[in-house]
Amino acid sequence: MEDLVEQVVHGLTLGSMYAMVATGLALMFGVVRLINFAHGEFFMLGAYAFWFSFSVLGLPYAVAVVLAAATMAGVGVIYERTIIRAILDRSWHVQLIATLATSIVLTNLAIIVFGAQAKEVPTRLSSTVLQIGQLRIAWHRLLVLGSALVIFAALHWFVRRTKMGKAMRAMSQNREACTVVGIDVQRVARATFALSALLAGAAAALVTPLFNIYPDMGALLTIKAFAAVVVGGFGSVPGAIAASFIIGVSESLAAGYVAYAYKDAIAFVIMIAVLLWRPHGLFGRRIGI
Amino acid sequence: MPWLIGVVFPGAQRYLLHILVFTALFASLALSYDLTVGHVGSLSLAHPAFFGIGAYTAALLATQAGWPFLADSGAAMVLAGLVALLIGVPMFRLAEHAFAIGTLGFAMVTHIVATNWVEVTRGPLCVTGIPRPEIAMGAMRLKLTTVPHYYWLALAILALAALLYHGLTTFRLGRAFHAVRDNEVLASSAGIDPRRYRMLAFVIGAGMAGGIGAVYAHYITVLCPEEMTVALTINLLVIVFIGGVGRLRGVVIGAVLFTVLPEILRIAPTWRLVIYGALLLAIVIKWPDGLESAFHRTPRLRRGGA
Repeated sequence: MEDLVEQVVHGLTLGSMYAMVATGLALMFGVVRLINFAHGEFFMLGAYAFWFSFSVLGLPYAVAVVLAAATMAGVGVIYERTIIRAILDRSWHVQLIATLATSIVLTNLAIIVFGAQAKEVPTRLSSTVLQIGQLRIAWHRLLVLGSALVIFAALHWFVRRTKMGKAMRAMSQNREACTVVGIDVQRVARATFALSALLAGAAAALVTPLFNIYPDMGALLTIKAFAAVVVGGFGSVPGAIAASFIIGVSESLAAGYVAYAYKDAIAFVIMIAVLLWRPHGLFGRRIGI
Repeated sequence: MPWLIGVVFPGAQRYLLHILVFTALFASLALSYDLTVGHVGSLSLAHPAFFGIGAYTAALLATQAGWPFLADSGAAMVLAGLVALLIGVPMFRLAEHAFAIGTLGFAMVTHIVATNWVEVTRGPLCVTGIPRPEIAMGAMRLKLTTVPHYYWLALAILALAALLYHGLTTFRLGRAFHAVRDNEVLASSAGIDPRRYRMLAFVIGAGMAGGIGAVYAHYITVLCPEEMTVALTINLLVIVFIGGVGRLRGVVIGAVLFTVLPEILRIAPTWRLVIYGALLLAIVIKWPDGLESAFHRTPRLRRGGA
């Protein structure tokens, strides 16, 4: 029983991580109709930004998290200004290949700069454990879950209540109409990329103390987050979040009770099963955020 | 050619032929890939999986069951094609991006299975001791043990692949493929079922990739799961896009540039991927029809044609 609870908590932590990455993907797809294959690399860069500020500069944990997220927001803006602007009006083939190429460049540059070996960044919270009877959960997992809740609440508020959030939603519904009523489409796109990259950076900084970081960790994460976006229904943020948690928990249970080696395949098995059964995803119908 | 190289570069004959073998095999693989990407317009990212399935089928049949070369290569082609058919059924229900992601997911699962199914594939320990091919023709036995022998085999494979590619993409079938690629709705209104033609190109391409994988496994004699990672997709995309999507000559030129240049420049593998990635990025942004089009003063009306 305790074992099951532990696996579920691990799954929820994984789910929070996938959800933050998948949300960014769903936002980008919703607002500018672009699939960013380099999104996992934003997570990877965020993890290294966190490692640099926490382990190398020795900053306090909270400051390092904020710094990593802010750095990634900057990277998101640069990405939008350079690569995305060149491909935004092109066919989806071009967009897909260009972002895939970006991900390969970033991964291999990271191998050159940081080395291929995995890095560990343990914190005080990740090495202390909450013990209730036989149940043992690292405090850091609870911190991740709590932060994820706060982040999603903040995101909900941002998208529903602020002017920029409303502009994003408007753009996901009708881009032409937005230009007609005087919304600066490019500014909204830039903000979307900044927000998506920020979420990836925050996710990375939050979960890095629990996992190792290495340069090519982005690829698998991108694909799993995509699986979540597809399962949740393309472009739907709440769908992507729900699907992320389903995938995280299934993966953790599969790792614990079925076969650890094949845990990474679970997300795709779920994706293929859902697509056979509901080609538009679990919550998908129309596109909107 | 082998003799010419032997005369001009006496010491380097083996090495140069080795590069040419790789070039020919990569060109054939890129042609099989281009059937799906260039002619029916479905951006599949699953090609390394079919290549890997073929390579593993041949390697395991040859080392564990002692099958002869032609039989295990045939089995490799059939199995890769069958898997493509099975995976194609759910995948072709997906449109555009989702198809790309689904196929990429499939490629990753295949790689995970190859790495972890240690009892069968030996996982990271690799399949070793794959014999060089031996072809029995009646009483005559043809043993392909040296690099020059393999050079001729690889060249024959490339010729076969090019012939098949040309045949499939030129005549009635080719026109149907292009109709599906250029306008799906119009194609189906003309009685061309898009899904059927897409599936056809996908399965044939996968079968070819499986066969090439088998030849490759017999050539390198040691087969590891790393042969079928996403990096191979990037390589194929670079080849296809350098030369020009959907053009036989372009794809072959792309493969030559892709395999010969890095050998001349002697770049470290990590930097190589950085450069390929940047190159791919530059090409799709600047010249999405391939580098060839950069040299034409007037843009082509539509890519492909006949």
